[in-house]
Amino acid sequence: MSNTEGDRYDAVIIGAGISGLVCGCYLAKAGMKVLIAEQHHQPGGYCTSFKRKGFTFDAAAHSFGSYREGGVFRKAIRDLGIDQRVVIKRYDPIDIIIAPDMRITFWTDQERTIKEVEEAFPNEHRIREFFSFMKTPRPTDIAALRRKTFQDVLDHYFSDKRLKAILAFPVLGNGGLPPSLMSAFTGSKIFTEFIIDGGYYPDGGMQELSNAFAQQFKNFGGTLLLSSLVTRILVDDRRVSGVELKSQGSVYSRYVISNGDARQTFLKLLREVSVDQRLADKLRTMTPSLSMFIIYLGIDDYFDALPQPGSTLWYMPHYDLEELYRVAKMNSAVDLTKYLCRVSPNGNTLLAMSNTSYKDERYWIANKTRLLDDFIETIEKTAIPELSRHIVFKEAATPHTLQRYTLNDEGAAYGWESTREQFLDPELRKPSFLSGLYLTGHWTTFAQGLAGGVYLGYNLSDMIIRRERHGSA
Amino acid sequence: MEQIEKEIIAILSDVSGVDEQEIKPETDLMKDLDIDSIKAIEIIVAIEKRFKVSIRDEDIPKIATLKDAVQMVTHFLRQKDESSVKH
Repeated sequence: MSNTEGDRYDAVIIGAGISGLVCGCYLAKAGMKVLIAEQHHQPGGYCTSFKRKGFTFDAAAHSFGSYREGGVFRKAIRDLGIDQRVVIKRYDPIDIIIAPDMRITFWTDQERTIKEVEEAFPNEHRIREFFSFMKTPRPTDIAALRRKTFQDVLDHYFSDKRLKAILAFPVLGNGGLPPSLMSAFTGSKIFTEFIIDGGYYPDGGMQELSNAFAQQFKNFGGTLLLSSLVTRILVDDRRVSGVELKSQGSVYSRYVISNGDARQTFLKLLREVSVDQRLADKLRTMTPSLSMFIIYLGIDDYFDALPQPGSTLWYMPHYDLEELYRVAKMNSAVDLTKYLCRVSPNGNTLLAMSNTSYKDERYWIANKTRLLDDFIETIEKTAIPELSRHIVFKEAATPHTLQRYTLNDEGAAYGWESTREQFLDPELRKPSFLSGLYLTGHWTTFAQGLAGGVYLGYNLSDMIIRRERHGSA
Repeated sequence: MEQIEKEIIAILSDVSGVDEQEIKPETDLMKDLDIDSIKAIEIIVAIEKRFKVSIRDEDIPKIATLKDAVQMVTHFLRQKDESSVKH
């Protein structure tokens, strides 16, 4: 393709994950000429759905949070007119945790949740204070947690190990780390944005949300290229000049924003020659988060044993979360004893997932079918009797499936591990050695999950729009 | 003091995107500059790097305005000077 005016953009965004879509929408709405190039044939990254045999399955993300008044997701959805394209509902209860000797429910009515937890743990006197801190923390109070772990936060409020494990279990499931390793900042954010303010879902499935962002992006004048893999970031004298697309050739732009994974952005797309050596070395030693083994089940009819459609059920086999993490990360075989499962709001599909490490692809080819059946059996034994009798369709995704569809390194579900050591590295968001390059999404070390992606996408667009106004790209 | 203020204003402006001229000693960082928890950490880290001081985590919630931030940095720099004289 020749270098004509048509191939020139103000910004090119690599990847139509939720963060790239949000960033693209805001930039295009502000009048910038923006291209989003996505390698998959539909937008959304982990926020996608697929159809099989008449069933619609959410691929990975299956609900979202931060939609309260003042929440970042609500802001983006309102600012960008997404609420005119998709109906968002909240499901109650949000989460149900099945612990070895009790069941704790997180309701949309927080008062009800607090009372339930207080009744289960009468000797703990700071439950209300903990929820109150998590619900409306002052930014500086959360900032003061920067060197602490989520375990430190739990220890500050509570003494009962079981209570601490119950509160940390959905944080492990939503963030991939046990409390002793999870940074207090990220752990608290997950608790605030995904658990206390969680449970929202777009009518028709998660793809509807990504599609609505993609449609609005186009309405704002943006160009979205699907099935378009970016093979290279073009650099001209220490600043970006565009990208090379696998099948469409080069396009030129003043900004390049990567919503992709950091290792591929810096080590593959940029080619190592233009990358700061210290950063390249660091990227090789950083740790990606755990991945998932996911099963998708089509159900003949809703039956009594199924959890409430739209609520997430969390099964914890014991209270030692550190051990659950160790097993998921280190064991050569997949452990499916801890999991989350969820019946879609329309009641005809069930999604279940369990954390696991990447492993060799041959392992998954040899074991996928057996693991799928083992997982169904585990759920049947632990939470949903007679599940197998109602299944009319079943499929599974391994970490390699997730990697293939989203190009997340090692099929990592949450970007980098959110440890204190891997927290808030400005070089992974706005590298100083190259002008015009920015990253957004869960590989920046700044935030994770859908709400984190939306926050970063908005925040980056705001930074770029201000820069443009001041005339310094 | 004036130099410290000027440099902290530059950091606040860079992180918040608000023009330097609009940032006054009484400016409330959260209300007026829309500083959220992530930006608060970015500011703290930038201040620590620029002035080579270490801000104690328990002191972070005490910073509400530009004036608070300037006073805290001035205090830490003075402490640092005194300890380097002693050694």
